Amino acid sequence: MRPGLIKEIIKGIFVKPVTIQYPKEQTLIEPDFRGRQYADLKKCIGCSLCAVECPANAITMTKIPDEYVAPKTNARRIYPVVDYFRCVFCYRCVTVCPVNAYLVTNEYRLASSTIVESSELSLSTTTKAAGGV
Amino acid sequence: MVEVTHLIEIPMAVEIPVGPQHPALHEPLLLKLYADGERIIKVDVMTGYNHRGIEKLTEKNTFYRDIFIIGRVCGICNAVHTNCYVRALEYILDVDPPPRAKYLRVLSMELERLHSHMLVLAVTAELAGYETLFMYLMKDREYVMKSKEILTGQRVMADYMMVGGVRRDIDEVKTSRILDIIKRVEERIKYYHKIFQEDVTINRRLRDTGRIKPREALAYSLVGPVVRGSGIKTDIRIQDKYDAYGDIPFNVITEDYGDSYARAMVRFGELYESINMVRYILTHLPQGNPVPDERKLPRRFPVGESYAAVEAPRGELTYYVSSSGGDKPYRVKIRTPSLNNIVNSAFTYVDQMIADVPIILGSFDPCISCMERAVITDLRRGVRYQVPLKELGGVRK
Amino acid sequence: MVTNLNLVDFLKEYVINSYTMKPNRVVIEVEASKIREVFSKLSETLDREAYYLATIEGTDFPEKNLIRIDYFVNVFGHNTYLVIRAYLPRENPIIPSVIDLVPGALAGELETYDLLGIIFDGNNYLRRSFFVPADVSSKDIYPLRKDSGV
Ligand code: SF4
Ligand code: SF4
Repeated sequence: MRPGLIKEIIKGIFVKPVTIQYPKEQTLIEPDFRGRQYADLKKCIGCSLCAVECPANAITMTKIPDEYVAPKTNARRIYPVVDYFRCVFCYRCVTVCPVNAYLVTNEYRLASSTIVESSELSLSTTTKAAGGV
Repeated sequence: MVEVTHLIEIPMAVEIPVGPQHPALHEPLLLKLYADGERIIKVDVMTGYNHRGIEKLTEKNTFYRDIFIIGRVCGICNAVHTNCYVRALEYILDVDPPPRAKYLRVLSMELERLHSHMLVLAVTAELAGYETLFMYLMKDREYVMKSKEILTGQRVMADYMMVGGVRRDIDEVKTSRILDIIKRVEERIKYYHKIFQEDVTINRRLRDTGRIKPREALAYSLVGPVVRGSGIKTDIRIQDKYDAYGDIPFNVITEDYGDSYARAMVRFGELYESINMVRYILTHLPQGNPVPDERKLPRRFPVGESYAAVEAPRGELTYYVSSSGGDKPYRVKIRTPSLNNIVNSAFTYVDQMIADVPIILGSFDPCISCMERAVITDLRRGVRYQVPLKELGGVRK
Repeated sequence: MVTNLNLVDFLKEYVINSYTMKPNRVVIEVEASKIREVFSKLSETLDREAYYLATIEGTDFPEKNLIRIDYFVNVFGHNTYLVIRAYLPRENPIIPSVIDLVPGALAGELETYDLLGIIFDGNNYLRRSFFVPADVSSKDIYPLRKDSGV
């Protein structure tokens, strides 16, 4: 055995492992990591541009339920719902939106056995018409 | 007169399929080896296991959606793929990105070369029997992936290129963090380089396997570190001087001998060059705004055609894009370096040992994992059994 | 040193038309049947260690009833790309194979045959399902033709 090897072995005994015990320990990710994004219904004007430009066809334009307030600029009362199972997080939707309506997060833990999409998050950005959320 | 009672068939050659499946990397393929004893006499390369029809798909989508589709052609070298395609579009549109954007593009591509070369060197080590070295290299590769995350926002899928620039800028904090990481990685790479040079087993396994003469390399259109390992000085970065490669100093690394060892050494040399380039870029970054407003880019493209080439980690990658006006391309032709390196390289296996096949294939930097398994047909007993390829060297018939 | 200009010069007898493709690639149009002569001339004139065949690319033009085939040659010794371009009739796209002159043409010829149906006369390795999955190739469909319906 070569001396270099022994040095490496002794070092290996004392250093902390590079692997971490996920999910007990969380992965360190950048604050501007491209994670889950959703439309802010206070800003969105329902132009559908993001749905047209999405390379993965992950966005469907959906009607805003009647009880929610929509801005006047959104005459058709529609908003984008992102299907995160299809989404590839390229953020094309974020950059093409003419009113910068998307809220971006660095959330990456999206694994689930049920469908994950953005309607709840988007709707939580606006209020119901008859007071209260 | 002797009556024939028994027919004894003497097997002339053993047919060994190597492959085919592993869709995670770029090209799952099947190598059909014909071996006489331990010596290979012929190789058929069978492809078509993972053709996803991306060229056709791009014809059906708009130019801009294609940028992201093309990023998914290959996970490891997605930045060079999109760069090549985006530059082809820029040639058609006659757009020139600002200097800062050009520098940042080169930065992302060189980080990609770093982690791609580290991957293939790790795999080479694994194929030679060094799992620990594989783990070590992969550990340090993770730091490079981290710096890519700092720069582009995701550790693998950069989605960094856009017509007229890049998609996000870099600030002081990020610059110094990447510089830190690079410094750490450089020390480790020096250490691994020494291991590759001095270790007896690695030297024995890599030296003299899969030797390619310069003339053959060119006649068979091999590209990238494979021809450079045969002493031919060809590099698209020098030839086309695309993006900022005209301004950034670097050397083209070549080795003369042309065996697997020379190819590994070319990759080590390129790692040092990439590190120096990353350092140069981060300290000489021009000022200005590199991020174009994606809402203002032209929707429709003029009629025209262009042919862009880029030096991917695996070699010359080319895109031909033709537009007949409108918002969709008429034809997109992608030629990846592995297509040439793998399909045309069947001749290199001839007269080598079966056990050396993984090393040779590994030194071409293809989809490695697809060859974890081989089927041996024992013609004498007529049974088929499977062994991991790594153990093939020990099989005695 | 051979410059761009006389690159076209020594192939003059074959050139029907010549122009540049962005960014400054030299395109020469030649007769499809002369393709082998062009490549032999190329290897006679240029040093063998100065160029390689990078790509073969085919495009379908149903309205003109033509298929275009481009050979992209990287003449890196002279820092340029040469594009050799030929047109073939759509019903009967046959072009002589250059595989014995330039072995590197193998991958490109196999791919172009499988995806576009150009027959390279003299190449014995041509086969369907090189890339195209068996369910498509068994119906005699060439996916990259514009009317293939794929
Ligand atoms: S990030 Fe990309 S894939 Fe996801 S919804 Fe937006 S445009 Fe579509
Ligand atoms: S592009 Fe912006 S404004 Fe238009 S629908 Fe999408 S989120 Fe709403």
